[in-house]
Amino acid sequence: MSDTMLIISIEELCEAQHVTQDFIIEIVDYGIAEPISGERTEEWLFDTASARWLDKAIQLHQDLEIDWFAVAIIVELLKQKEALLSDNDLLQSRLQRME
Amino acid sequence: MQFKDYYKILGVGEDADLKEIKKAYRKMALKLHPDVNPDADANDKFKELAEAYEVLKDEQRRAEYDEMRQYGGSSSGGFEPPPGWQPGAGSYAGGREQADFSDFFNSVFGNGGNGGFNTGQGSERGPRNSSEYFTSKGQDAEIEVPMFLEDTLLDHEKTIQFSIPSLENGQVVHKSKTLKVKIPAGVNDGERIRLKGQGGIGHGKGPNGDLYLHIRLVPHPLFDVQAHNLILTVPIAPWEAALGAKITVPTLTGKINLSVKPNSQTGQKLRIKGKGLKTRTEQGDLIAVLKVVMPESTNEQDESLWQQLAQSHTFDPRNQWSN
Repeated sequence: MSDTMLIISIEELCEAQHVTQDFIIEIVDYGIAEPISGERTEEWLFDTASARWLDKAIQLHQDLEIDWFAVAIIVELLKQKEALLSDNDLLQSRLQRME
Repeated sequence: MQFKDYYKILGVGEDADLKEIKKAYRKMALKLHPDVNPDADANDKFKELAEAYEVLKDEQRRAEYDEMRQYGGSSSGGFEPPPGWQPGAGSYAGGREQADFSDFFNSVFGNGGNGGFNTGQGSERGPRNSSEYFTSKGQDAEIEVPMFLEDTLLDHEKTIQFSIPSLENGQVVHKSKTLKVKIPAGVNDGERIRLKGQGGIGHGKGPNGDLYLHIRLVPHPLFDVQAHNLILTVPIAPWEAALGAKITVPTLTGKINLSVKPNSQTGQKLRIKGKGLKTRTEQGDLIAVLKVVMPESTNEQDESLWQQLAQSHTFDPRNQWSN
């Protein structure tokens, strides 16, 4: 049986993304993701949702060669889009059941 | 292996300068990036584009590619690097995952080392096996795992099968894996669960990547999910709505009795505490939404009764339109 985890440390994130801690700190400063615990930077722990947005932010930064401010706006809009799509799915289903 | 014409992919000429290459890439990236393009093949097309850009934006890689292109770029059949070819000065050790690139890219640029045609004997140009000097964590992988709502209430054991891309001698190969995992109770749609070390195989002495299980709740025939609450549409007969009724409704774990009050309406909500989905910190509710439905067929007796009601009632359901 494989162990499941819902957190990832900053050290593991850096290793997975091939980036430095300063890189992660910068992304966090822009509010793209937030650690769920850890007072000192090297103790930061992220949940898997934040880890996903960090991954996406790094990809966007590399793929589109855009600055972190632009990345932060895109990520925020992507989060809003996901929430809207989820709401839309629910409302479509509710509508079908009530028709 | 197929030869990749990076100039064609970017839509630029062989003599394009860096400025033109950047402009072409940015223009196409905005159209093809998987975050803005919903097409199923957008991800593959973007990877191809990013690969072309990764090569042509770098002077040394571009020179190596041009050399290779002259060797075999015009051949219409399969492509193999020439004998003695070694990944060169433009070899790739960038931020992208190596498995994101095509076999063609990996065969030309590999993971590092010295490049060009190896005309000498021995290994003065560096080891052929990149793992001798290149260490990196394996690629993280993600798979979708469908879950029935019922299975989220308790820890749930699941067997998952997936394939992991890994690099072997510069070639990307897919290896099948089967794992038994315990999905913790209270998972929600879209949540990601991490399995440490179960992703792509590490390069050199690097650790394996992680596997992420992307939980997708399977749509239920009866229940909709809103955060940690469940919504159930409850059909009731007109007389049940008018007179009130005791009815039985399903929950995820069994059945419960529900009291419908007299004069109930379609859309009216009844909240049943603690019968929704479980999260790690709380238990959601079941929200029963009433829906008054007419019988599909009526007989003479029914019609007569409806007639009596129609004649004796002054109710106007459209009175709000009168103004």
